Amino acid sequence: MPYFTDADARSIVRTTYEAATPVGIDVAHVLYAPDELAGVPEDALRWAFGVGNPVRHAGLGPGEIVLDVGCGAGIDAFIAARRVVPDGRVIGIDMTPAMLARARHHAAAMKIENVEWREALMEALPLPDGSVDVVLCNGVLNLSTRKSRALAEMRRVLRPGGRLALADLVLTESLPEEIQRDATALAA
Amino acid sequence: MLERKLVNVGFDRVVLRDRRPFGLATLARYPIFAPEFLDFVERVVPPDRHDALVYAVDVTATAAT
Repeated sequence: MPYFTDADARSIVRTTYEAATPVGIDVAHVLYAPDELAGVPEDALRWAFGVGNPVRHAGLGPGEIVLDVGCGAGIDAFIAARRVVPDGRVIGIDMTPAMLARARHHAAAMKIENVEWREALMEALPLPDGSVDVVLCNGVLNLSTRKSRALAEMRRVLRPGGRLALADLVLTESLPEEIQRDATALAA
Repeated sequence: MLERKLVNVGFDRVVLRDRRPFGLATLARYPIFAPEFLDFVERVVPPDRHDALVYAVDVTATAAT
């Protein structure tokens, strides 16, 4: 039995990410190589909240259509956008308007034009079946109370043979119940 | 469990690309966690798990044809 309803979980995650006040760029520098971060504004690096580097394993190439599920402030979308030029594009989806606003701001600063941003839930992706070549998802699946539903949506929007590159947190043994019931822990 | 969920929804060729322990020190790098929460985790989780509360994984999979 989950400790949080879907609505509660979304509200907690949204509030947590809206209220976040980044202070450093340690996460970005741990997860990404210097050449991947070249040209990305320092302010964008502060908003790197992922847990891995899915772009590194995605094998992106020119012309591909990429969906970044839970794009946050956009760092993976920015790296992907450079790899799919000249004809490819990236769609960044997030449920938190404040994070999308940051992504749009940073994209404008970087003059990246092949990314579009949409507000949506990972469990209800606003894209047609088989419409993207690659799905990226970085530290986001664990925020869902309906993980199988979110994964099924990622599969639905991928063309047959399309690739998923996912970074996430997994448990090898349960955490104490006090942690499982904690709202802040849910946001991780 | 993640691999099973991926296969169940229509992915194949699931590959674990990287796996890293994600402990208290890593958690502290993320500004979404207040010091009070980190203290709480440190208190309720046995010390032998502080360096690996969970694991961060990079996984790839292919949409089955």
